[in-house]
Amino acid sequence: MEQTPKKKGWRWGFNRWLVLLFIVGGGIAAKYYAPIQPHVQLPAEPVPPVTTLLVVFAVLTLALTVLIKRWEGLLMAAFFGVLAALPLFSGFVWVNTLTALVIADIILLLMGFGVYRAIKGGELVPGGMPGAIEALLEALYNLTEGTAGKWTRFIFPWFATITLLVLIANWTELIPAVDSVGILEPAAHGYAVQDLGWAETIVKGEVEHGAEAFGLVPFVRVVSTDLNFTVALALIAVFMVQVIGIKAQGGAYFKKFWYTSTLFSKPIFGVIDFGVGLLELISEFSKVLSFAFRLFGNIFAGSVLLFVIGSLVPVFAQSMFLMLEFFVGLIQAIVFGLLTMTFMAQATQGHGDHEEAHA
Amino acid sequence: MDLEAATILGKLIGAGLAMIGAIGAGAGIGIVTSGAVQAMGRNPDAAGNIQTNMILGIAFAEAVAIYCLVVALLILFVF
Repeated sequence: MEQTPKKKGWRWGFNRWLVLLFIVGGGIAAKYYAPIQPHVQLPAEPVPPVTTLLVVFAVLTLALTVLIKRWEGLLMAAFFGVLAALPLFSGFVWVNTLTALVIADIILLLMGFGVYRAIKGGELVPGGMPGAIEALLEALYNLTEGTAGKWTRFIFPWFATITLLVLIANWTELIPAVDSVGILEPAAHGYAVQDLGWAETIVKGEVEHGAEAFGLVPFVRVVSTDLNFTVALALIAVFMVQVIGIKAQGGAYFKKFWYTSTLFSKPIFGVIDFGVGLLELISEFSKVLSFAFRLFGNIFAGSVLLFVIGSLVPVFAQSMFLMLEFFVGLIQAIVFGLLTMTFMAQATQGHGDHEEAHA
Repeated sequence: MDLEAATILGKLIGAGLAMIGAIGAGAGIGIVTSGAVQAMGRNPDAAGNIQTNMILGIAFAEAVAIYCLVVALLILFVF
């Protein structure tokens, strides 16, 4: 492989010409369909439920399960079935961030089954995707082991699950047509609509008098830009921190919040210790807030940045910012998981045995 | 100026003022990273450990900026 004979003729690659083609094509497209100024919306927008698609998916996976005789297909089919049944509940609204979460879930499930099959196949050195995931998980496991010690086996699944889910969820932003393909709905600050034949697009410029203005509601919006997702994840993480604290220390865990053992033996410092305990209680709640808004703020600001850059400099510049978003999504996933892991590891160590560990 | 325009103006100015708090977080993250990079230069063997703690420190410093963001978003979209 290293010593391949030098090929004569064309030596300037192929993919780079594709990139050049896309840049030039983007420039030409931006000339005729100028990008519009985005309308930033905080809550997720409701879109029609993709029930039929999910039912088709469920039936397809069931058929595939029978065909290739693998039980994993049953799990996938059940997943799609449950999702398709969700709109039956009254008051349920299918929002576009939920679609992104379903996409992320499907990718995660496929990854999991892929690794399962690779391990089941008996290969000691899995290659390709399972090998990459194994390397990633091994790095995360070593990180956990260095911090959590004997509680690694309990903490690691939470750490890895949160990191992987947030990572995949953040990276759905990089899929083309996310945030930009959707349904047109009448909006107050909308734009004129032009028929392309196979689709319709909103174009820049004033709406003609009497005509209706339209705005775009995307089919898929990154799930991390929905506060429901980040708050739910943060609540799960902080709740499990308390659970592992009680599991490790029993009732003594609550001494962290209600510290009365030095209240009378040390007159002034005892009161301070008690106050610090109460502050710890408040900080548990602020953890939920900062967890949820860190992820939400970073990814939401990132997608707004992409909109604005796309409308200001339609050609080429957005690619640079997509690279930045790729990096930010990775960092935020690691930070969310790492903080969960560190809080869990801290919760396993009480006041007393902390000093013993250093002595 | 009518009341509605004044409200919008106040919201925008308020949200902008709320984000001033991000200055502190920016300075904090800079200090954390500078210290971590110096530590890594002195002791490259401990780079992994230092990096983990650096990310933690950055996350805590960033939390303050996130509270500012929350306040700004509340002003803009909720009130």
